[in-house]
Amino acid sequence: MNQIIINILYTGFVYLIISMSFTIEYYTTKFFNLFHAIIISVSAYLVYLFSIQLGSNIYASIIISIGLSTLLGILSEWLIFNPLRKKNVKPFQIMIASLGLYIIFQNIISMLWGDSALSIRQNNIEVGKQLFGGYITNNQIETIIISASLFILLQIFLKYMPIGKNIRAVSSNSTLSNIFGINANRVFIYSFLIGSLLASIAGILVAYETGLSPNMGFNLFLYGAVVMIIGGTGNLWGLLGGAFILATAQHLGAYYIDSKWMDAIAYIILILFLIWKPLGFSGKRLKKVEI
Amino acid sequence: MEYILHILIMILLYVMLAQSLTLTAGYSGLISLAHAGFYGIGAYTSAILSVDYGFPFLATLPIAMLISGISAVFVSVIALRTVDDYFIIITLGIQVVAFSIMNNWMDLTNGPLGITGIPAISILGFEFGSKISFIILTLFLTALVFYILRNITKSPFGRILIALSEDEIFTKSLGKKVYQAKIASFTIGAMFAAIPGVLYAHYISYIDPTSFTVDESIFILSIVIIGGMRNLWGSAIAAAVLIILPEALRFVGMPSNIAANMRQIIYGLALVIMMFKYSKGFVSKSYVGQENK
Repeated sequence: MNQIIINILYTGFVYLIISMSFTIEYYTTKFFNLFHAIIISVSAYLVYLFSIQLGSNIYASIIISIGLSTLLGILSEWLIFNPLRKKNVKPFQIMIASLGLYIIFQNIISMLWGDSALSIRQNNIEVGKQLFGGYITNNQIETIIISASLFILLQIFLKYMPIGKNIRAVSSNSTLSNIFGINANRVFIYSFLIGSLLASIAGILVAYETGLSPNMGFNLFLYGAVVMIIGGTGNLWGLLGGAFILATAQHLGAYYIDSKWMDAIAYIILILFLIWKPLGFSGKRLKKVEI
Repeated sequence: MEYILHILIMILLYVMLAQSLTLTAGYSGLISLAHAGFYGIGAYTSAILSVDYGFPFLATLPIAMLISGISAVFVSVIALRTVDDYFIIITLGIQVVAFSIMNNWMDLTNGPLGITGIPAISILGFEFGSKISFIILTLFLTALVFYILRNITKSPFGRILIALSEDEIFTKSLGKKVYQAKIASFTIGAMFAAIPGVLYAHYISYIDPTSFTVDESIFILSIVIIGGMRNLWGSAIAAAVLIILPEALRFVGMPSNIAANMRQIIYGLALVIMMFKYSKGFVSKSYVGQENK
């Protein structure tokens, strides 16, 4: 049972960082960016390329990978999504364009590195420390600490920094914020920068725990999207709640039923939430869900 | 020759899949990523009924369509609480659940091992064992589906679908039953998706869950979008092109796994380009304009 609590804690914080990275983009641009999944896997594959295949320093390669994949995220907004938005394309059509981009890059990854699972760990698998009768690895502790501190930093950033305030302004009313002289396009770029940065960190952390495969990003991204829908985009605390609801339900389901149903459980929770609480439990969704 | 016939059969199956999704995604604007799930329901229903219980084809086909239709009603009642991009995400979730059931419910579907030994189709004693006879049967069913879908889309019901995808609230204000029309459109699409599922199961004689994944759903949706959304002939041509493409790439000497990736890259690219082209909305033909002329 203690092991389950540790697993829930770890999975919850992984979901938290991914849903934060995705929500910060959805917050301003209001479309489901499926290309976000690629940022998660590209950063992990770049770490594999630099640290294993080219044999360079691990910290240097992590920093370069985060930088490159963040750049990729910004480029996607700058070259594809922003021009589409200027042509007044509906959000779900931009989503299909991002699906197309996702398919392109996912296949490039599987052509370059193959479909089989790879590992970026250099040392042997560690047993882990004993904690309250369960085991936890150093990497899991790092993930929890990094995710929690990024959560706090993002809260402070959105509340007190000028760019964070602009992001909140554009997300609540982009027309009005435009009247007040906030350049929405620049704010979109900033939100893609932050979102891609968080996503690439998440991708590397997960890759160190479970290895990498071309569709790892897509699975993680879908969990992030489920968390966002459960939690609502109203504030970040909703995401924290959503991440832990999802992680708890999945691990309890795995314990009492079978671990192979974890995917199905995530979506059944999503469906239940859409039936009873279509606004997410933080309750602040204004758009679309009901006409 | 066998090889060419095989490709022709696959093209016909995908024409049916794409055209049934054209009704749902194109005409009523319900972009669904769960279509491979219904395709799979059709295939599994027919496989289980004919292998375990010895049902003939003439019985399994309607039962498969019925089960696919019933599950589509349930799914659409849930999924239609949302619109646009939320709807896409919800159908994606339903697709994952459907795949998960096919992959994990060992007692019913035999899990990842799949179902083997599905008999060839036989109608009133005539066995469609050879590829030539099978292609004639498939062609007949494809033409039938095409004919029915064309009549549906030209009927008053089809006009309601077009209207609600353009402006839902306005359609409602004209007294049309928007919600029921959406459910009907989704259900009809799913029922027709079960037909290629049944044919596929009997044709390959072996099915496993990997034929009915999210990627398959994305592929079917891509055919519909590349075909022009509200264009039955367009999606038929797009299906043919996208099925022949990897074979053609293999023919010019590309290794087969690279060819499969290249096909996906090409249709991914096509999706992005299509979104730039359709920036004024998905409508390939301007229906309003035609009425006024």
